[in-house]
Amino acid sequence: METLFGIAVDGVAYGMILFIISVGLSVTLGLMRVVNLAHGAFAMVGGYVASYAAQSLGLPYPAALVVAVALTVLATLPLEKLLYRRIYGHANELGQVLLTIGLTFVIVATVNYLFGPTLKRIPLPDLLLGTVSLGPKAIPTHRAFVIGMGAVTLLGLWWLLERTDFGIRLRAAVDDPAMAAALGIRTERLYMATFALGTGLAALGGVLGAELLPLEPYYAIRYIVLFLAVVAVGGAGSIFGSAAAALALGITDTAGKYLIPNFGEFFFYAALILILFRWPHGFFKGRTA
Amino acid sequence: MMSATPSAATSDRTDAARMTASSPPLAAPLKTPRDLGWIGVPVVAVAGLAAFWLFPSDLGLLTRILAAALYVLSLDLVLGYCGIATLGQAAMFGTGAYVAGIAAVNWVADPLALLAIGGVAGGLIALATGALILHARGLTLLMLTVAVTQIVQEVANKARDWTGGSDGLSGIDPNPVFGAFRFDMVGRTSYLFALAVLVVALLVARRIVRSPFGLACRGVKEDPLRVSALGGSPKAYLVAMYAVAGVFAGVAGALTAVTSGIVGLDSASFSWSAEALVMLVLGGTGRLYGAVIGTVAFMAVHHILAATDPFHWMLFIGLFLMGVVLFLPGGILSGFERLAGLLRRKGDKA
Amino acid sequence: MTKHLRTALLCTAFGLASGWGAGAGGAQAATIKVGVIAPFSGPFAMVGKTFKEAIAVYQAEHGTTVGADTVEFVFKDLDQANPAQSKALAQELIVKEKVGYLAGFFFTPDALAVAPLIDEANIPAVIFNAATSAITEKSPRYVRTSFTLWQNTVPLAEHMAKQGIKKVVTAVSDYGPGIDGETAFKATFEKAGGSVVDTIRMPLKSNDFAPFMQRIKDSGAEAIYAFLPAGPTTLAFAKAFADNGLKDKGIRFFGPGDITQEPDLPALGDAALGITTTFNYSQSHDSAKNKAFLAKHKELFGSSDTVTFTSVGAYDGAHVIYTMIQKTGGKSDGAKAVDAVKGMSWESPRGPLTINPDSRHVTQTIYLRVVEKVDGKLQNVEKAAFADQPDYGYKVGK
Repeated sequence: METLFGIAVDGVAYGMILFIISVGLSVTLGLMRVVNLAHGAFAMVGGYVASYAAQSLGLPYPAALVVAVALTVLATLPLEKLLYRRIYGHANELGQVLLTIGLTFVIVATVNYLFGPTLKRIPLPDLLLGTVSLGPKAIPTHRAFVIGMGAVTLLGLWWLLERTDFGIRLRAAVDDPAMAAALGIRTERLYMATFALGTGLAALGGVLGAELLPLEPYYAIRYIVLFLAVVAVGGAGSIFGSAAAALALGITDTAGKYLIPNFGEFFFYAALILILFRWPHGFFKGRTA
Repeated sequence: MMSATPSAATSDRTDAARMTASSPPLAAPLKTPRDLGWIGVPVVAVAGLAAFWLFPSDLGLLTRILAAALYVLSLDLVLGYCGIATLGQAAMFGTGAYVAGIAAVNWVADPLALLAIGGVAGGLIALATGALILHARGLTLLMLTVAVTQIVQEVANKARDWTGGSDGLSGIDPNPVFGAFRFDMVGRTSYLFALAVLVVALLVARRIVRSPFGLACRGVKEDPLRVSALGGSPKAYLVAMYAVAGVFAGVAGALTAVTSGIVGLDSASFSWSAEALVMLVLGGTGRLYGAVIGTVAFMAVHHILAATDPFHWMLFIGLFLMGVVLFLPGGILSGFERLAGLLRRKGDKA
Repeated sequence: MTKHLRTALLCTAFGLASGWGAGAGGAQAATIKVGVIAPFSGPFAMVGKTFKEAIAVYQAEHGTTVGADTVEFVFKDLDQANPAQSKALAQELIVKEKVGYLAGFFFTPDALAVAPLIDEANIPAVIFNAATSAITEKSPRYVRTSFTLWQNTVPLAEHMAKQGIKKVVTAVSDYGPGIDGETAFKATFEKAGGSVVDTIRMPLKSNDFAPFMQRIKDSGAEAIYAFLPAGPTTLAFAKAFADNGLKDKGIRFFGPGDITQEPDLPALGDAALGITTTFNYSQSHDSAKNKAFLAKHKELFGSSDTVTFTSVGAYDGAHVIYTMIQKTGGKSDGAKAVDAVKGMSWESPRGPLTINPDSRHVTQTIYLRVVEKVDGKLQNVEKAAFADQPDYGYKVGK
């Protein structure tokens, strides 16, 4: 019983971190149909900005977080105009893969040049250090904070996509770009905003997840499979799907490590195959949120 | 948003043009260029031999390029001719390499037999996993192929007694080719052996994609509904081609094992799968020779940049990749084709 | 062409006969090349950088000539464990660059890959890092100046047993070196009367270590022996150890010193405090040799913060190669060169070293260190030294 509880708590905590790191990719992939393999690179840029802001400029954690998200969005918006705009659309998936891999390489090389290959950290405020106990089990305070942030992000995105004008227009533009344009929806701006949303979420995830996925230049490449797994299981573009997928994968991974640690890797990928067997289009296919 | 479409459209158009050009000449009028694809095989052979004379002290690298070209060729069979986007080709390559390597260490020493063993192993694993996963499409399929590769790699890591685990499987020491040509230190035998294997593989691959089976696979790629309406099973075609490609990848793995004498976990890694995709898209999909050109371009650029400035080669190769997507959608080979088209038009005018 | 020109110029400078027929006579001045294969790009680029810098320091101290011969290092990038590529690079170095010595090798498979080549070409390979014991058994031309997991682990396990620790959990990454460490630890610790209550092999790609921490907690162990590859995984592991309250519960953290290597310490932060490791080199090692080494490094590269075990591996490796060249008079004969350094002893920045004539691996002092904050900077502070530790894993078999 205690083991089950442990798996549940640790699994949900890990799953929420996975969610917050991957949801940005779900947004770009699902809503804009761009296989954005540079997602990890954007998350990494966010993390590095936060690390620099906190360590070299001495900003407090919340300010560093905000600065990181804002700067990452600002820095990547020109990329949307210069690069991504050329590769939107379903017909060109391979081009998207190649272009975003190329972009990832460039970002990795640049970060490596600017910050060096050593690990970087984002110092946590005292408030987030230590552990909180949940009955018989204790989890790090930082994780509890990330779980909370994950829930806030989830609700915020749901509200944004389902309840606001922006969301309605966006869904219209995704479903039928030509019709949306004819109705006077300015798809170009809409896509730009969505791209900004995606990179902002990537940066947020990069900063919040840095305790688990430490920052180094190869961050951008190392974890891309993990992000893609979450999106594939969740169903691209589905916010609740991503959350469900992240939790499912988090719990699966944790259960594997608890029960058969020596075969944890098998367990995770075998489970992934089984899930994709049962839900070949992800948990929540075809729904925006 | 609409500004995005031209590039995609051009690549579609060239795609369509190529399709009509290389399909049987029932619809193609005599004036359109005839299928000159057969020239490619002797060109590869001659270029390969020329490289042998021109770069006699780089044969180690060149051998690796040839084996990699064969591996990327196998990916072209599934991606270019069936439209299966996969990030799991290394599963077949790695299986072929490990099975051939284990056979070499324990039982068999003839290099040709080892290639056959690797091919069979690669084909079998492709058949088994393909039958399991090829009902899926898109991102789901991509993830399934990744998962298969990770499992293969983990099996290789766990079965240390057989595979050496992360230390690699060393001690592969094949007999001389045909009992006469020893695998020497300079790598002459390895290179010529690899070149011969690649040329034969190109010939076979050409036969396959031009056979009724190959054309049916293309049909599945273009319009699966029509194939099922005509009574064919799209999935059966896909699985069959996936298995055929698995044989090619397995042979490529065995070739690497035979020529380098060692197999490492990297041969069944995600990054090796991704690299194959990059090389193929770089060269151009659905053309067979695109695989060769992409591999040569990528590995040569990597080698030169890594030799001159290892710290920053990633920057340049990243820019190179982006440049190809933006300015040469359809790969390097499509650039040649466009150039040839331009010249031809000029010739027509004259 | 320019190489010949340079050789010719050098020869004139030394007032010797022209060296067009380089290698014809050993006494003639020639350029002797050493090919170094290591990661200079990619996730392990740090390693290549430390190799290169340490060699530069050695050459700055000892000159670039041995006798009349000039020693030139040629670097080849191998960004990750890829034995087939390692072999191709070694081939290129031997055939095209005509190197007389191979060196470097961060990963075990990359080192193993060149065994048939160095035997056929009769060239010595000096391993600066790759730490699996079995490597030097595969060719008589391997010499190793780093350490092995066995070498570091045996004295640690003995020390832990002496401390009165009875129950230990091992947690290692599931790959060759990790399993080496686990085997060495279990064998030694159980022989010394302790018990290993659980052996956890963690998947190499693990990100979340919380579940393992729970398992360790539940096992009731007093201490853990952990080994993971240096870098992000170690960081996440150490953080999980502190964050999940194991540290507060009084469970002690032991392991081989790779996990607290100096370049990672700032990122590990306070989570690393108290981790006890055994290792062959610590940047803070107190000796005149080490101070001189660090000073020279700082003079050449502006900082010595990144000096770590791979630095001394390369530095001492360069010393071994120089000695080989000197003792063979510049003649290229791998077997003789290796024979020439068997049993050789010298004083290195890390302490006294001897090349064991049988295993061709360095016998060295292993230090017990604890991560502490000294003047606000995290350091591996040496607490004890175990002299003359051989590679206990040589010919142990698996």
